[in-house]
Amino acid sequence: MKYLVLLLLFASGYASAHELTPTYPKLRSSYLEDVLQTNLKMWNARGDVKYYKIEVTDENWNDVPFITDEKTFKLEHFEHRNIEIFLPSDTTATYICTKSLLEKGSAQKSIVSSKVCSKIK
Amino acid sequence: MLKPVIILASSLLATEALAQTEIVGNVDSKCIIISETPGVYGNPNPYQLTTTPTDGGVQPIIRYDVLAADYYKAVIEHPIDFSSAPTLDDVVNWTGDVEVSEMSDTNMADYDTNKVEYNNTHEYEMTVAGSTWFKISSLADYGFAKSFPAGTYTAVVEAECIPL
Repeated sequence: MKYLVLLLLFASGYASAHELTPTYPKLRSSYLEDVLQTNLKMWNARGDVKYYKIEVTDENWNDVPFITDEKTFKLEHFEHRNIEIFLPSDTTATYICTKSLLEKGSAQKSIVSSKVCSKIK
Repeated sequence: MLKPVIILASSLLATEALAQTEIVGNVDSKCIIISETPGVYGNPNPYQLTTTPTDGGVQPIIRYDVLAADYYKAVIEHPIDFSSAPTLDDVVNWTGDVEVSEMSDTNMADYDTNKVEYNNTHEYEMTVAGSTWFKISSLADYGFAKSFPAGTYTAVVEAECIPL
């Protein structure tokens, strides 16, 4: 019964969700020497957000260098995006995050900015 | 004569192949942030903006869905500045809070007790799989009971999901 409730919750709440998988991505060799790569998948079910930014940081949340197709990208409602991250072989990268970028609104409201991270172990 | 035999044999082989088809599934840990209710500031006094419902505000509600226990922490920051506002020439005093408003599992009842709080940040270890709803309150007082200039004010609640 508990799982049925959970399933219904997961199925019903996708109107405004932000998801990044896998939680623990693995780094592997790329086709370039001394360059590692990993792949993640993002899903945008937030109808109020179309733009996201990729952040890669070390364990102390300091930015580390990385290469990807687009660091800021547009992702329409209910679309998936495969994210390919390239890192130097001596990288200290620990967290890979996607953060929602909010457009200036016209209403007196408090907007929610979401940030979901994956951790390299 | 041979044709029906071949068809029968093929059919049997196909059935055998079908019987051996496997269904493989992996359950990965996953965190989903859902913005359920966008907040609205009420303006009960000229110098105040608040999400308190009795003052005309709406408290934002964020839901976290985690598929596995002990894999994530939720980090929520209530606003301490406006992301957009008219020009302000005095100090804005911010207060706010984050609390669990609903939960899918009663074992999440101690989340508020166990949360780590610093500055405007509230950290919750998601020790139970399921859904947790967080309600955020925010209050902005302008100067010493000074009227806010007319215009639109927007503040942002930051909701993060960090793997442990």
